[in-house]
Amino acid sequence: MAMGSVSDTLWDVVICGTGLQQSLLALSLSRSGKNILHIDPNDYYGGAEAAFNLQEAESWVDRLATEDKGFFRSASITKPDVAGLSFPRAYSLALAPQLIHARSELLSQLVSSRAYRQVEFLAVGSFYIFKAPSGPEQQPSLVRIPSTREDVFSTTAISAKAKRGLMKFLKFVLDYDRLEQRDVWKTFAGRPLVDFLQEHFKMDAELKTYIITLTLSLDGKITTEDGLSTIYRHLTSMGHFGPGFAALYPKWGGISEVAQVACRAGAVGGAVYMLGAGIKSMATATDEVELELTSGDMVKTKLLVRGNESVGDGPSISRLVAVVGVLYLTTMATSNSKEVLSRALESFLSAMDHDQVPQCLYQLYYEQAAGVKQSRLDELTIDLPGPSLSLSMDDLLLKHVREAWKKVASDTADDAEYMIFTDREPVDDDDELE
Amino acid sequence: MADTNAPKPSSSVKLVLLGEAAVGKSSLVLRFVNNDFQENKEPTIGAAFLTQKCNLPTRTIKFEIWDTAGQERFASLAPMYYRNAQAALVVYDLTKPTSLIKAKHWVAELQRQASPGIVIALVGNKLDLTSDSAGTAEVSGDGDDNAEDSGDARKISTEEAKTYAEEEGLLFFETSAKTGHNVTEVFTAIANAIPETSLKSARGPGASHAGVSRTEEQRVNLNGPRDSHAKEGCAC
Repeated sequence: MAMGSVSDTLWDVVICGTGLQQSLLALSLSRSGKNILHIDPNDYYGGAEAAFNLQEAESWVDRLATEDKGFFRSASITKPDVAGLSFPRAYSLALAPQLIHARSELLSQLVSSRAYRQVEFLAVGSFYIFKAPSGPEQQPSLVRIPSTREDVFSTTAISAKAKRGLMKFLKFVLDYDRLEQRDVWKTFAGRPLVDFLQEHFKMDAELKTYIITLTLSLDGKITTEDGLSTIYRHLTSMGHFGPGFAALYPKWGGISEVAQVACRAGAVGGAVYMLGAGIKSMATATDEVELELTSGDMVKTKLLVRGNESVGDGPSISRLVAVVGVLYLTTMATSNSKEVLSRALESFLSAMDHDQVPQCLYQLYYEQAAGVKQSRLDELTIDLPGPSLSLSMDDLLLKHVREAWKKVASDTADDAEYMIFTDREPVDDDDELE
Repeated sequence: MADTNAPKPSSSVKLVLLGEAAVGKSSLVLRFVNNDFQENKEPTIGAAFLTQKCNLPTRTIKFEIWDTAGQERFASLAPMYYRNAQAALVVYDLTKPTSLIKAKHWVAELQRQASPGIVIALVGNKLDLTSDSAGTAEVSGDGDDNAEDSGDARKISTEEAKTYAEEEGLLFFETSAKTGHNVTEVFTAIANAIPETSLKSARGPGASHAGVSRTEEQRVNLNGPRDSHAKEGCAC
C-alpha cells in the first residue's frame, strides 16, 4: 500500500466494522497480498464487541440517548454515592464478555494464525450457582457445579443418589454423538433438554438446574440437541489447556481484545485502518462499489464486507456491568429485567461475603437486540451476521467469516491453509511468559 | 567482579514506537536490531515486533519493540498497542516541523493512555540531513546548533525540542538511523531509565527451563508445540 490517499487505490476489499467477525476476516486475509481498507464508523475498535473505560462508556451512553445505535438501547449509568472508584482508564468494561471454551475453534485459529501471542487469557475455573438461604438462620451461598468425575466424587453438595445420576449423565454425554447413543435422545432432539433430563435420567430439580446452568442458556429452554453438544464441549474442554478449567476469558476487554489483535495482524499485513469512517452512501457499478465515507473520502472497491446491522427476530438481552472488580450480569430482556439484574447483583454480593458485603461502585445497564443470524453473499457485497448474544463464544460465526474469506481470496487461497500462518519474527519460547 | 560468567537477571520490556508517518521509526529499529539501513524504505509492512537485547552492567533488558504497522496513519491505534508498554520512542523528523507537533500529540496520548511511569524518549531523527551530520552533534552538550547554515535541512532546533522534552520529563536524543549516530544510545538510555522495581518477574538463570511457569495462577498459555529459535546477540 503506497502512501497516497485512500481514494487513489482500487481496493480488493473494503471491510466496514471492527467487530469480531470483520476483524477475524482481516486476520484471515493478512497474508493474502490483497489491498484491504478496513474502516469503522466508531472511533474505537470492536463495534458491538467493544470494551470501554468509564469515560468512553459515558460517551457511548450519551450517544445512544440521541442517535440510533442499532442493537443497543435503554443504556444508563448509575454511580452509587460511595468512594473507592479508581481513575476512569483503570477499567475496561466489555460489551461482549463471552467465555471461550478451550475447545472452541476460535482458539485453534488464534493459535494457528499466531495471533494468540498478543492476547492474555484468564482461566475460568468453575461454574457456580447462587443458593438462596433456605431458612431465616441461613446465609445465601454460591455452590460449585461439579462437572468432572473427580468433582462429582468429592462434592458434598449433593446426595449419593444424585451423584450416581450425575455421573451416569456425564458419562452419557461424553459419547452422546455415537450412533447407539443418538437413538437414546433422538426423539428429544428438538424438545427442551430439561424434559430429557427429567424423563430419561429422572433427575431432581436441583440436578436439572446444575445441568442447565452448564449450558449457559439464558432462558433455560435450550433444546436437547444443542444442550448435549454444549455440555459435550464443556466436558471435553476441561483440562485442555491446563488442569481445572474448561473456558478462557481474554483479560482486559473480552472479545474486544481478540478483535484488536486481529486488526493489528491485518495492519501488519498491510491493510489500511481508518477509525471514525463509516459508509455515508454507496453506488454499485458492474464490477465495483463506490463508497462515500463519513470522513469525506471517496473510495472504490471490488468487494464490500460489512456487518448486518438489522435487528433480527431473536430475543433481546439485558446486561448489567457492575464495577466490584468487574461483574457482568445478563438475562433475557423483559419489562422488569433491569430490576431482576439489580436484585441478582445484590444477592450475589451478599453471598460473596456475609459479614462485609462488597460495594458496587459503578453500574452500566443496557439492552441489546439480537442480530440477523445468516450472512448474505452478493456479487459485490457480503453482509456478515449480527453479533452473537450468547454467553460463550459461538463457533458458528467463524463459518461465516470463512465463507467471506473464500469469496475474497478465492483466486489465490488454499482452503486447507485457512488461518495457518508462521510467526513473522523468530520467537523465543521462554520470552512470552514475561 | 566475583563471577563474570554468572548470567545477569533478564527482563522483557515492551517498547512502543510512535510518530508521524515517514519520520524513520522503523529505520531506527532496523538500525538498532540489525545494524542496517534501507534507503527509500516502503511504509512498514510485515513487522509485528522485533526483539533486541540490551546488556547493562547489572542486568539484561530484552526490548520487545512494537511497530505501529501503519495504524497511526489515521489515528487508529488500538488500546492493546499501549497496554503494558514500559517504554515509548516518540520520533519526529528534525527537517519537518509538523512532525514535532505530531510527536507532542503522541506524548500527550501516551500520558493519557499508557501506564503511569512509562519511560518516554523523544527522538529527532534524520540528523544526517543537517549540517551537524558528521556525527559530532552532542545532544547532551550545550545544545546550540547551526540551524541557519546553508545546505542544512534542519527545521527544528535542538534547543526547542530539548526544552520541550525537559518540561515533559522525556529523554531526548537526535539521531540518524542512516549513519547509526546515537541510535544505540537511545535504547541504552531507555534501558537505564526503567526502574528496577517496574521490571516484572526478572528471570534469573534457569528460569526458562522451569517449563509451565505462569506468572499469575490463572494466566493461561495457549502455546502449542513449535520450533524455538532464539535471537541472540546485542547491539548495546
